[in-house]
Amino acid sequence: MFPLRLTLIWRHSAKLPQKGAKLSTGLFCAFLWLTGVAHGQQVLRWGADPSGGAPYVFTDPANPDQYIGYEKEMVDALAQAMNRRAEFVPSDWETLVSALQRHSFDVIVNGLEPTGDRAQQILFSKPYYIFQLQLTVRRDDNRINSLDDCKNRTVGTLANTAASRILQQQGIPLRGYADPVAAYRDLELRRIDAVVMDVPAEAFYARPNPKLKQAGAPFTRGLYVIGLRKDDLALKAEVDAAIDKIIFDGTLETILKKWGLWNDAQAEFQAPIRAGTQSAKVEEYTTTNATFNWREALWRLTRAAAVTVLLALGAMVIAIVLGLPLAVGQWKGPAWVRSFCTLYVEFFRGTPVLVQLLFLYFGLPVIGIAMPGWLTALVGLGLNYAAYESQVYRASLEAIPNGQWEAAYSLGMGPMLAFRRIIMPQAFRIALPPMTNDFVSLFKDTSVAFAISVWELATAYRELANASGQFLLLGVTVSAFYLAMSLPMAHLARMLERRLRDRANERVVEADVREATA
Amino acid sequence: MIRVTGLKKSFGDAHILKGIDFEVPPQTVLGVMGASGSGKSTLLRCLNGLETISAGAVECDNVRLEAGLSQGDYRRRVKDLRLKVGTVFQHFYLFPHLSVLGNIIEAPVHVLRTPRKTAESEAYELLESVGLKQAARRYPGSLSGGEQQRVAIARALAMHPALLLLDEPTSALDPRRINSLRTLLRTFVDRGHTMIVISHSMGFLSGVADNILFMDGGEVVEFGPADQVMKSPSDARTKDFLLSADDAD
Repeated sequence: MFPLRLTLIWRHSAKLPQKGAKLSTGLFCAFLWLTGVAHGQQVLRWGADPSGGAPYVFTDPANPDQYIGYEKEMVDALAQAMNRRAEFVPSDWETLVSALQRHSFDVIVNGLEPTGDRAQQILFSKPYYIFQLQLTVRRDDNRINSLDDCKNRTVGTLANTAASRILQQQGIPLRGYADPVAAYRDLELRRIDAVVMDVPAEAFYARPNPKLKQAGAPFTRGLYVIGLRKDDLALKAEVDAAIDKIIFDGTLETILKKWGLWNDAQAEFQAPIRAGTQSAKVEEYTTTNATFNWREALWRLTRAAAVTVLLALGAMVIAIVLGLPLAVGQWKGPAWVRSFCTLYVEFFRGTPVLVQLLFLYFGLPVIGIAMPGWLTALVGLGLNYAAYESQVYRASLEAIPNGQWEAAYSLGMGPMLAFRRIIMPQAFRIALPPMTNDFVSLFKDTSVAFAISVWELATAYRELANASGQFLLLGVTVSAFYLAMSLPMAHLARMLERRLRDRANERVVEADVREATA
Repeated sequence: MIRVTGLKKSFGDAHILKGIDFEVPPQTVLGVMGASGSGKSTLLRCLNGLETISAGAVECDNVRLEAGLSQGDYRRRVKDLRLKVGTVFQHFYLFPHLSVLGNIIEAPVHVLRTPRKTAESEAYELLESVGLKQAARRYPGSLSGGEQQRVAIARALAMHPALLLLDEPTSALDPRRINSLRTLLRTFVDRGHTMIVISHSMGFLSGVADNILFMDGGEVVEFGPADQVMKSPSDARTKDFLLSADDAD
């Protein structure tokens, strides 16, 4: 009895050390946090977009509840130098500036470039990194060797970056993405012809991909800085000093080397600081400006509005063409057709249209079907609205009294002829007002296409507003665009409804009047 | 013209028609009479193929619809039968989205492939004979019940049926209009049409029918010339019905 018990205890304790270690680390961290608070240690809340954010800051694949990246390590080093505790606030690349102004965090550390337009909204720290741009194409594509070859091709890049501005200045058609992964995937799927990206991201996402290759050498040299609120001058001084410190003592070099980002450009840039001269020559580096003028914004909004209208019209055509067989199938079809149609309707009505679009755009390429964004939006919205239309049609068809069928049959008509000539025209009148309503809401639903980078009104608003900071004015303008298109349609719907109702009433009265005068 | 032999119809265990036999000679009117639930309406729906017959046969011109045919054969015969038999429903069932003219030419143009011009001039003749020529461009919703009925008659006749079925044609009419309908139907009979009129109104049938068939419980109780059935019915049930109908009239 005794030896057995011993073994049990031994086995048990053999497992313990690991758990114990984890536990004690956790306790230790909690202790640190407590002491930090106790000593009044301040927090440095920093914002960045971790989605597709490698190697800047991204989710650790091996440990999904933690973030890693060279900027994460750099901020930790900076915070230590400032005697603060770094706290990461995951955010969205395109709305970083407005989130900063809303005090969601204190600094932006996300490979931010000091652009002229951003300078009007926020404050910049000293630069900490020299970035270059790299053009990437498909491995089998020999047409493109430099940006000059891209004049008539679509080039993807992150929206509102130095790269996107350079493309804009050179008049190269560009598609803005929210993260590099999506851009490189679309390049692979031939939805675009090339991608321009900052070298750190390119090194991480494109270089290991055997289907892609670099086109030409890295070009331009730009700066990464930390973004702060305009009035945060004290924090800026603190951050600047910390940047100098981690450059001077080699901490930043160690971090960059660890991530494979150390190169001649960094050495050149860091040299004067490490020599103690304390000033890097910022003027030598390219800074880009986004030129925002209202005339161009309006022109781009108009084009986006046209896309919105075409998208709505096209999707409605698909919905109508597909909705009718669905309605008839669910109404009169054999059992298996009925269950298929019901399944279709319940699926498309029961899941968000946004999820359906994302599935079509990102999911279908996995099985070899890669549609461009506009087509995906068209098909996705069409499939979705077909489910709604089918229910309108089914209700309208069911509203036609059985006697209409019997009258048609007894006149010698077959089911198809009776349906086409007698039932459908009557059902159409019932369906018309709800169809018009559906079209108005489909029209507004086109805005979900922004999720797959289709340049429609909502995307246009997001990108123009992020680039200019004119959220309010552009918001009002975009709303006006929507209203200018949806109000006439809503009016048309009401008019149709009224006319159908009036006609029915008129007839009843008319018959009475004639009976009375007969 | 039409011959019905051993016609049975049942829905599950409910036997609605229990073997009906009758014949309608050309250019005559058969009045079908009976209380509610006697099977009158089911009989009418068997005659134009809206119900599948369970046993027996319906013969009209050279089309013979009988129980026990294969599904495809049966369906083809029903289609042929419907071209021989025109129906005026109790509630007319005009097509509300088509004008009066449209209602009348719809089937001739799309089923018989009659040229539109021919169909239209025939329709105008029919409308004239029912006294509604001026209403050709109007829509059914703007017509009174009596006008709708006359359009329904014209619509059925436009298909040149060998037999015209009318289901409860007096239910929507006031006494004055019942008289004019009686006159109208007799005019069409004189022009060569054959009809079966289902009604529970003795007064109406006595003036329009050549023969009367009295139904009760899905069986033919009395079948003979109108005068004979009205004046000296042989069955007690017919007598009862006629007496109570007299009270009602």
